[in-house]
Amino acid sequence: MGNCLKSPNTDDISLLRGSDNGPEVVDPSAVHIGPPPPYQESVPIYHPSPNVSRPANQLTEDEQVKIAQRLGLIHHLPTGVFDGTSKKAKECCICMEEFLLGDMLRFLPCMHTYHKECIDDWLMRSFICPSCLEPVDAALLTTYETS
Amino acid sequence: MAGLPRRILKETQRLIQEPVPGISAVPDENNGRYFHVVIKGPAESPYHSGMFQLELFLPEEYPMSAPKVRFMTKIYHPNIDKLGRICLDILKEKWSPALQIRTVLLSIQALLSAPNPDDPLSNDVAEQWKANEQLALETAKEWTQKYAKDKKNNIQ
Repeated sequence: MGNCLKSPNTDDISLLRGSDNGPEVVDPSAVHIGPPPPYQESVPIYHPSPNVSRPANQLTEDEQVKIAQRLGLIHHLPTGVFDGTSKKAKECCICMEEFLLGDMLRFLPCMHTYHKECIDDWLMRSFICPSCLEPVDAALLTTYETS
Repeated sequence: MAGLPRRILKETQRLIQEPVPGISAVPDENNGRYFHVVIKGPAESPYHSGMFQLELFLPEEYPMSAPKVRFMTKIYHPNIDKLGRICLDILKEKWSPALQIRTVLLSIQALLSAPNPDDPLSNDVAEQWKANEQLALETAKEWTQKYAKDKKNNIQ
């Protein structure tokens, strides 16, 4: 009986096998061990800097501004789908996987290319290109001024 | 090794296939994120001929956050404190996900060749280093002979 609390998998297995103990097998103790309060799970975690993780509701005002700016700036960076034509960009240095046809990419102003998912995760922590350490926003602002 | 991100598996594989000269990094058999590291003291440094044991841990967020690295062998160095913690910018604010276990260990090896007493972690050592560099180098050599030859002297 106690086994059913260990993991959802064991529950599934016992259900598949059919229950020998009658149709309604509910461990009363299981009912009271509720899941953690749902509101905690729904608070997103942000990273004002790479080694800092904080739930959204515990960010300082400065950090909130920083993250809002990053969110805004990321959307101005061009994206594309890997079609195999680029000879330069072959591998994403964040996940160390080769680009595959159809992969979503993001291009930084310094011409470095990453998987969109990989670089967006980093840009939410730091606005510096992982490869050349060039500040992404400075380059972005210069692009605006010259265009 | 199951459940590890592919990047960690790839890095581990490459570290074993193409090891960095003077550095060995072996993943723990029970935890693929924990590495047992040995760095050979670079020639022409007071750490020459010492074998320095370190531990390296890849946190859940890796490579978005830096590996955690610590010397287990006592070492007299202005950028390494008595708990073995290392003052190295790429392990903190200069971390980038383009860096790897390999590059981190190479940087630590380079730090042994070029101690930087102007950016100290261990204040006492840095002060002694600046006040009398010759004496500091001698002490570093002595400590290497005393602690980096025998595994029993590891910081716990």
